[in-house]
Amino acid sequence: MTELVQQVVDGLGRGSTYALLALGLAVVFGVLHLLNFAHGELITICAYVVYALSLAGVPWWLLAPACIVVATLSSMAMEAVAFRRVRNASPFTLLLTSFGVAILIQGFFQIVVSPKPRKYDKPSWVFDTWTIGSIRLEVADVLTIAVTLVVLAILVYVMRRTMFGIALRGAATDFDATRMMGLRANRAVSGAFALSGALAGVAAALILMRRGDASPSMGTDYVLKAIVAAIIGGLGSMAGAVVGGLVLGLAEVAFRAWLPDSITGLTDGFVFGAIAVLLVLRPNGIFDVRTAERV
Amino acid sequence: MRIARPLGGAVALAGLVLLAGQVYLATGGNDALLRAALVNVVIVMGLQTFIGTTGLLSLGHVGFAAIAGYTTFLLAASIQAKAITLPDAPLGLADVSLPPGVALVVAVAVAATVALVMAAALARAPDITVTMLTVAFLFVVHALATNWPELTGGTSGLNDPGLRLTSRTWLYVGVVVAVVAARLFKASRAGRLAIASSEDRLATSAVGVSVPWVRTIALVVSAAIVGFGAGLRVLSLGSINAREYYFGFTFLTLTMLIVGGKRSVTGAAVGVALVTAVNEVALKAAADNERLGGLPDLLLGAAVIVLMVARPRGLLGDWELDHLLPRRRQPPEPAAVALESAGEEASTIEAEDVAVAFGGFRALVDVDLVARSDEVVGLIGPNGAGKTTMVNVITGLVAPDAGQVQIDGHELTGRTPHDIARAGLARTFQNLRLFPDLTVRENVDIAVLSASRHRADRPAPDVDFLLRAAGLADRQERRAGELDYGSQRRLELVRAAALRPAFLILDEPTSGMSDVESAVMIEHVRATAAAVGAGVLVIDHDLHFITSICDRIYVLDQGEVIASGPPDVVRHDPKVVAAYLGTPTT
Repeated sequence: MTELVQQVVDGLGRGSTYALLALGLAVVFGVLHLLNFAHGELITICAYVVYALSLAGVPWWLLAPACIVVATLSSMAMEAVAFRRVRNASPFTLLLTSFGVAILIQGFFQIVVSPKPRKYDKPSWVFDTWTIGSIRLEVADVLTIAVTLVVLAILVYVMRRTMFGIALRGAATDFDATRMMGLRANRAVSGAFALSGALAGVAAALILMRRGDASPSMGTDYVLKAIVAAIIGGLGSMAGAVVGGLVLGLAEVAFRAWLPDSITGLTDGFVFGAIAVLLVLRPNGIFDVRTAERV
Repeated sequence: MRIARPLGGAVALAGLVLLAGQVYLATGGNDALLRAALVNVVIVMGLQTFIGTTGLLSLGHVGFAAIAGYTTFLLAASIQAKAITLPDAPLGLADVSLPPGVALVVAVAVAATVALVMAAALARAPDITVTMLTVAFLFVVHALATNWPELTGGTSGLNDPGLRLTSRTWLYVGVVVAVVAARLFKASRAGRLAIASSEDRLATSAVGVSVPWVRTIALVVSAAIVGFGAGLRVLSLGSINAREYYFGFTFLTLTMLIVGGKRSVTGAAVGVALVTAVNEVALKAAADNERLGGLPDLLLGAAVIVLMVARPRGLLGDWELDHLLPRRRQPPEPAAVALESAGEEASTIEAEDVAVAFGGFRALVDVDLVARSDEVVGLIGPNGAGKTTMVNVITGLVAPDAGQVQIDGHELTGRTPHDIARAGLARTFQNLRLFPDLTVRENVDIAVLSASRHRADRPAPDVDFLLRAAGLADRQERRAGELDYGSQRRLELVRAAALRPAFLILDEPTSGMSDVESAVMIEHVRATAAAVGAGVLVIDHDLHFITSICDRIYVLDQGEVIASGPPDVVRHDPKVVAAYLGTPTT
């Protein structure tokens, strides 16, 4: 029982960061039908910023907001430089463009910094634990879950109660109709990327506080997890992204706990295998948000 | 298929690759680089046969490459080499050493078999899910390769210097085989149908083509070619390492494919040459400076972005080398045969008690409808009456909640759209579904191809006659997407007619047309139906259009049939008048 609670908290902790990343993907997918492979590079960019600032002695309570600002601006920059120019292209073209952006950024960090990982100091308290009865909880897990809950609450408020959120939801339902209502396309798309980037910035701060190094291709793993989360939830659905992220986090922890020690290296293989089975059974994910095609 | 031109073009293309290789060597080129490039030509040809035809983005083909690569190594490496690197190899593999050629054949068969299993999972999935499943596949293969060192050597890899091919001849042979295979596949029936499905999946099913089946064939052929390339790679290097078969290689080969143009086999070869050259220059620049190791990535990433912005179809689009070869003169077409329905048994569509509800909205309520192939039947009603839903039920796009549809006593309910098309129901769509990037002629040819297999018992219509009647005879080589709206509508009708249907089912053929255009369309519908001897079931909300063309009419209102019969009778039915003009309130 004790162990189960700890595993669940661990899984929700992991799943929370996947959920934040998947939400960012869902926001952009809703507006542009772009599945952004370069989303993971936002974490890479944050990692190098954290590396540089922590060398300069900047404390963690300032690094976290810095991540959010940097990721937001970087996400908007990606849109302005690359995605704006392929906005009405096929999904294939959009996907490949984002691939190009991802590889370009990876090459950039290899050249400007180094192909090798750069280490920075993690905050001292991340691996501290709190003990409640017989249950031991990692501070980092609890913090991650708490921050994610707060962010989700803010997000729900923004999407439902603010003009910005309503415009975004409108644009995700019918981009052209929303434009006819006077919404400027560039502003809507740019706003979607900003929101997506801000969510990635929160995720980056949570991930980086326990990771401890920056490397050029680190973003790939995270973006793949996030894409999987977004797809198993039902691509384009924001609730689906959250559920997908949590399911993925729990599945990882479950497989790690149940697989014999000799093959724990295969955890990712098993997780992806299980997800492939899920996708075969429900090709449009858990929350099927496809709007019926008009024929 | 006429294979002379594509075959000639492919052989010429392969010859150019070989020539380029020899010239490169003669001018002081690097043997290892040339080998890598030749192997990549083979692998990228494999990618082209799937991604280039189906238009689906696969990120998992490197998984097939890894499987075939390991199979080749494990079967072909010498027993001595295995005793050192793989003493604990399972399945008795430590004691096996087959001739390289045999190992290669087995490897190709294994890759193709795995692809067949994969196809069962992804053939029906939505496009984006297909991409995701291929990613999951690559992940699983990579996880196995890195975590099963007893079999794969993991990240330290496997090596058998004795396996290394000393001569390049086999690589050249491999290039010729792969290029010819890819080009012939593109020209083949399955290849052309796959290209059609990438343009419009629904329209492809509507001409009787099973899209899952076409995707399956493309995936298996492409995995076989990729596996062949990976086997050659292992034989060329004498080694294999799990790290080589992951996203880096995926992105490299994908870039090679799209630079030249994913739809072009010629483009695939050009892409390999260009990307290899750029990579080589970047690596040379990086040789003196470890940091510049990221230069190839930087350049490739930038190249992909620029290309997607400026030329998303790649440098060559769908151009092939064989387009330069002279076209053989077409044999004289047989004179137009007027296919009267006389002598043939008339077919009958019978719909009984069809009911459909979307959520709480009752779109169709117990609708009965009969149409014979020697008459023109109209289905009319105000917007939202359920007309399109009825047609979608008949053609298999919407499953009814109750009731059934039969043709000549054979059940249609529950069958797939392509299966229903094969049964003789050819439809057009309200919002036009052509294959926009294919030419006018190719649009019709897709239906001809399908009909030649599935409607072979009926006489083939004269396509030239149909195109002439549609006023499209002189625009056969134009892309369908470039035609004016009226011509696109007529082309869609010709495509449906080329399917040798028993029924033409037309969803608002005059929607968005002016009166003059509508009049032309009415004539065209009549002429086309007569030419192929098909009955017509036509939907419209234009009372005038329907009454001037139909023998019998059904009037739908709020999902129910409120009147049926000859036009004159129906037109004066008080319920119909009320539905169209509103009931006078008293």
